[in-house]
Amino acid sequence: MTKKPKATKSSKSVPKAKGPARGPLRQFSIPKSEQGTVKQRVAALTEAPLDLCKSDKNLQVALKILRSKDEPVKVRLAALQSLQAATFSVVEFASCRTDYLATLREIAEDPDPELRQRVLGILARDKDRFAQKKLLEGLQNPQQALLPPEKALQLLSYDVHSEAYSAAREIVSKPPNPIAKREALRLLAADASAAPMFEKILRDKSELRENRQISASALQALNPEKLQEHAREMLLDKSEYVDIQATSLTALSQFGDQEAAAKDEALLKSVDRLSSKSSKASTKTKQSARRFLSKYK
Amino acid sequence: MNVELQINNSASAEARFVTWAPSPCRIRVTNRAAVTTPIVNLHIQGISAASGGAVVFRKTTTGRFSSSLTLHVPISGASVPFFVGGRFGRPSVNEGDVTIEARDGTTLVGSVPVMVRIRKNANALTPGERDRFISAFAQLNNRGAGRFQAFRDIHTDAGDLEAHGGPAFLPWHRTYLLGLERELQAIDPSVSLPYWRFDRAAPNIFTREFLGESDDLGTVQFSATNPLQFWTTDGVQGINRRPQFKTADEHPDLSTEAETLALGRLYRLFREMQGNPHGLAHTNFGGSISSIDTAAKDPLFFLLHCNVDRLWAKWQRQVGRFDPAQKASYDTRRGNRIGHRLPNTMWPWNGITGGDRPPTAPGGPMAESPCVAAPGLQPRVRDGLDYQGAINPLSRMGFDYDDVRFD
Repeated sequence: MTKKPKATKSSKSVPKAKGPARGPLRQFSIPKSEQGTVKQRVAALTEAPLDLCKSDKNLQVALKILRSKDEPVKVRLAALQSLQAATFSVVEFASCRTDYLATLREIAEDPDPELRQRVLGILARDKDRFAQKKLLEGLQNPQQALLPPEKALQLLSYDVHSEAYSAAREIVSKPPNPIAKREALRLLAADASAAPMFEKILRDKSELRENRQISASALQALNPEKLQEHAREMLLDKSEYVDIQATSLTALSQFGDQEAAAKDEALLKSVDRLSSKSSKASTKTKQSARRFLSKYK
Repeated sequence: MNVELQINNSASAEARFVTWAPSPCRIRVTNRAAVTTPIVNLHIQGISAASGGAVVFRKTTTGRFSSSLTLHVPISGASVPFFVGGRFGRPSVNEGDVTIEARDGTTLVGSVPVMVRIRKNANALTPGERDRFISAFAQLNNRGAGRFQAFRDIHTDAGDLEAHGGPAFLPWHRTYLLGLERELQAIDPSVSLPYWRFDRAAPNIFTREFLGESDDLGTVQFSATNPLQFWTTDGVQGINRRPQFKTADEHPDLSTEAETLALGRLYRLFREMQGNPHGLAHTNFGGSISSIDTAAKDPLFFLLHCNVDRLWAKWQRQVGRFDPAQKASYDTRRGNRIGHRLPNTMWPWNGITGGDRPPTAPGGPMAESPCVAAPGLQPRVRDGLDYQGAINPLSRMGFDYDDVRFD
């Protein structure tokens, strides 16, 4: 199963700078495009992220690569990855941070979709207003969208604003594709007023089961008592799908009222049915059902 | 005759957990019955369940361990000390899967079940260990409103200088992980934090039954029996994680364990690992885990950092760097900001806010353990180094790794 690393450090033939191999004062060295292969340049960029911040020259080299549309995308992505890794070393990165974010905004509309997606992801997690505005505009005007609606919704969920809720509601009612609807539901899980919608989807057997599962999770956050009620009812419902019953059982066993469950004979009988050999439930679900019953019998 | 065996010098069942580092224990006669001699010779040994843990003993804080021990115990009721540690390579799988027995001749006069509770490679957990871990974690988060909220609030941009702003990066995260582990153990004491060995393929971690399987968009999918399907953090439903490597058979492209351990014999050289492999392990994903402010929303974060801590522990053992008084054990160069000097207390557990510290201190003091006293309610940077009690037995923090020895 184990695959050889994509680039082992020992295999690199990138020229090393003078000085101690791993010392804190090591100079940063990336071969220019005419001097090294893409693989060598990627390896040099990612080998020691902290070295990026050790001089302004190092940083400018990495930022220049990231900005340059003439560079191979793999090299630009490596520069991005290394710069992002360096952000975890806050003090060393402090002086670079402003330039870094400015560069990300500059390339947020880059022609390469992978680079665009990663850059907007970083900015969205940083609650960057510029990125949020671009993502919302894309939802409202799909022709100008920088990312597909499902990705835009996922990124907007890091810092939800009311404008995003209304865009998500529109997508739930008229989804451009099933994944966009799923991501819109996930975003709306933060909206307390969406609880009735999640109850409806949860109990709708014609809905995609993934959306019903998301609704269960959303209800668990928004109105946990309601989820417990529905979970019990879905376990009692013999016509319910077994995987939805498994989700219901997980909700009851992990977050439910144990005393109430112990006295609930109808519920215990249903769980017993789920655990039986004749049940269509998966082995794992049967195990969970047996574990649930063992607490009360 | 009956005797009482106290593990970690405690009569509480909650203290019956040991690691490789020896736990102080004691034995005393509680019912002398027909015994007339002033002292009885009692034979102590561990009896392991099938696939269970195994323990070793010694009489004092130093010396060789043995699989059994004979203790001369007065019938007056006075306690006799001894030490118990897990046998390296034989961690427990379940709570109480090894029993320490005391016999007078062939007569059993006392026994106590214990667990050799060790942090293990997450990729190799048994289904039971895996399920207990995710169940405890899901309950700790409890729809985003549980105790886990504080852990997310601690590891944000607001506290980044405390966690990442200098050489205390490693002790700070060691303390942070231990706090989380203790909270998990308050829910299920048989749980220990597993580690993600990121320089090897770990297909068993990225499954729907464990930490989830990412789809092309980076939305993590769980099985219907996995309680993490209810994961919510700060209103965000589920987990966003987009690996940039094939989790089924690849690992991130970053420094290997051997390369990391070879960074140098001085802490100031070793701590370069903050960039590679640590930083690269984070940024080999898109999604929450790749940014400081959101990283702790993903449970994988804690397995990643557990491996970072394991690498430090392994390096400490390899080059003998447990003693805060030894310069090579830490980076004591001038210019370290507050919170990164050995005598400093660490935020947020010290509760200090404002000035050079963040404006709030979420979570309160460090969680206590029924097994050990260290690192205390307000840990200092120096308290994070001697985690096994190699220099001072009282510094033992109550965790160990499956592949890092005590001696």
